[in-house]
Amino acid sequence: MMALCVVAAGIGLAWLALILGALVYKGTAGLSFAVFTEMTPPPGEAGGLLNAIAGSLLMTIIAVVVGTPIGVLAGTYMAEYGRFSRITTVVRFINDILLSAPSIIIGLFVYELMVRPMGHFSAIAGAVALAILVIPVVVRTTEDMLNLVPNALREAGAAIGAPRWVVIRSVAYRAALSGIVTGILLAIARISGETAPLLFTALNNQFWSSNINAPMASLPVTIFQFALSPYEEWQQLAWTGALIITLTVLGLSILARSLTGRREDR
Amino acid sequence: MTQMLSPDMTMTETVAEKTKIEVKNLNFYYGQSKALKDITLSLPERSVTAFIGPSGCGKSTLLRVFNRIYELYPKQTAEGQVLLDGKNILDRSQDLNLLRTKIGMVFQKPTPFPMSIYENIAFGVRLYENLGKSEMDGRVEQALKRAALWGEVKDKLNASGLSLSGGQQQRLCIARTVAVKPEVILLDEPASALDPLSTAKIEELIDELQADYTIVIVTHNMQQAARVSRQTAFMYLGELVEFDRTEKIFTSPREKRTQDYITGRFG
Repeated sequence: MMALCVVAAGIGLAWLALILGALVYKGTAGLSFAVFTEMTPPPGEAGGLLNAIAGSLLMTIIAVVVGTPIGVLAGTYMAEYGRFSRITTVVRFINDILLSAPSIIIGLFVYELMVRPMGHFSAIAGAVALAILVIPVVVRTTEDMLNLVPNALREAGAAIGAPRWVVIRSVAYRAALSGIVTGILLAIARISGETAPLLFTALNNQFWSSNINAPMASLPVTIFQFALSPYEEWQQLAWTGALIITLTVLGLSILARSLTGRREDR
Repeated sequence: MTQMLSPDMTMTETVAEKTKIEVKNLNFYYGQSKALKDITLSLPERSVTAFIGPSGCGKSTLLRVFNRIYELYPKQTAEGQVLLDGKNILDRSQDLNLLRTKIGMVFQKPTPFPMSIYENIAFGVRLYENLGKSEMDGRVEQALKRAALWGEVKDKLNASGLSLSGGQQQRLCIARTVAVKPEVILLDEPASALDPLSTAKIEELIDELQADYTIVIVTHNMQQAARVSRQTAFMYLGELVEFDRTEKIFTSPREKRTQDYITGRFG
């Protein structure tokens, strides 16, 4: 039995190691200063990924800025004000469905909601699609983390005469802070690799663009396009882009882990 | 001197004292189930009253009515009257937060807020008073001294309240409660999670605090009730069985049920 488990674990780890190995091997070969300073090139020419990296950063930031407050406030409602109400049960159920909804569905939804009425693809539509992916993750972690705050602490806050919102803001949030931040980091990690929702919304852009009302490049979509292409330079950039995303997600996960670890130490 | 301290004298004294909290025909429900049955009693000002009784007898429930903390949860309702200085606190017009600044509460498990020792105390004060830095420093020091904690923490006021030991945390909670200058302090089994040494310190503290505050303590520990309180209420199955001077309850109770409980025959 144990041998089987070890073999199974070994197989799982081996694939992970192979993928990481291939990424690092192929990706680092193309890693250079130019990757971060030059635009995506036309076929057959050398270039970088600057516009794709910038586009990914911008859309991720907008998505987080829009999605986080909604997620945190909704989670707060469920764990604090509406803890005992029926709506909370319903919202939690729907949120769980949203949490596991295929991201391509979200992309199509935003396509219908924004891209078609506007008549063109745009970065803002991409950011909205990503925000819709951020919200359920943040709602879930915020609610879970606030539920872990002992009721005795809320009672203690109320018992010295603090109004409800002061107790939530100064006591409950503070006690749950590292957990909520971890949730936000995990949400960022989740959306930074998403391709499908961006294909239908932000599309792609070979040039530098800071106009959120126009199509915008992003790392995942660029990787998708370049990896499918027959051009060697593009394929190399796709590998490098994949490495950058992987390292970013890895870094975010480690950061999230270290935050959670610190809470458990206390 | 001995004459002065005779039980009879104390008795007359108690009767002449001003009533701080008066409970009249109080019933309490958790949903459909009745947890307190027609409770009526008067708590005198500036003295310690203990509530004793077996688990589930309603003593904590009664305590939690006094600052209406039960209202944090749905389906808990109180009927009847609880008069604080003659004013019914169960009245709907009663401002809950204001009520809780007048009636402080310390819980079974120490509940320091996730902030520094200094902030733990300043937090409550800041809610209703606008003090300057030096005034606030003074208030924090005063509260910590009152809770006999100042000497142990004066050099680490910026350390987290969670870094203290259990007994110190509980005294921090008492300091925090005292800092907002309440009139009544409710103690819900304040020493049941503490070691004997910390328990002794808390009891000593209760004894000192009764000079300025009306104190109500719920306890499982009958020796503790006998040590710290002046009056004791024995509760059983949601009823107030007997309420009298503490030495009377522990030496010659009127009711057989009280007798059985304090001698350890049930509960």
